[in-house]
Amino acid sequence: MIVAVADAGPIIHLAEVDAMALLDTVDELILPETVRSELRAGGVPEGFADLTVEAVSVDEAVLQSRTDLDEGETAALTVARNRDAVLLTDDLAAREAAKASDVEVHGSIGVVALAFGRERLREEQAVDLMRSLQTETSLFVTEAVVEHGIELIRGDNDGSPSGR
Amino acid sequence: MAAELTERVREIADARGVPESEVFERALERGVEDLWFDLVISRYLNDEITRSRAVEAVGEERLRRAEREAEAVEEDVRWGSTA
Repeated sequence: MIVAVADAGPIIHLAEVDAMALLDTVDELILPETVRSELRAGGVPEGFADLTVEAVSVDEAVLQSRTDLDEGETAALTVARNRDAVLLTDDLAAREAAKASDVEVHGSIGVVALAFGRERLREEQAVDLMRSLQTETSLFVTEAVVEHGIELIRGDNDGSPSGR
Repeated sequence: MAAELTERVREIADARGVPESEVFERALERGVEDLWFDLVISRYLNDEITRSRAVEAVGEERLRRAEREAEAVEEDVRWGSTA
């Protein structure tokens, strides 16, 4: 059972490659009201209304408590920690903050990998989506890194980190 | 696409007050720089070159960013295959 809390990043990036519905691959998706507001401000991505989402609020004082993350990231991390849920974010600083708080954290590529692992996508669909996330969206990730992830998806590698 | 590129090159040349040939030259330099960066990172992630060689080629800061990205992608893919 995967319960996940998302900030705006994965929703926006997956929407940019017409794959927002993959967020339904997690068993329960929670969205802080702050994140919904951010999405409304930027234009709600098409298909967002079709997602099954639990909306939650986070105290304003908590939102102001961090200077290293924006309010949406702070809200999502706070809820993930309180609910023992996975944080979904594409922001590297938010990922590191989550790890420091012992919160499991993944991003858009993780959602694609999960959909592949749960047989919602075929291998080539997952590979195409990973490449599209790099080339067609505002997600900043180095091409060589995405290709490295694709090799892992294809099973050319045992998935363990190299000796770096 | 080719027509769009030509128009953009013309617009950049006009805006910067330089010949179109100079715009092409700079675009080529930037493009090759990006491709070179990707090649170095790819070789490093595949353990074909050492970290110090990679730092020498692309710089500590850019390599460190790529390492953080690679760690995130590895964790994400592993999650997908085990969750």
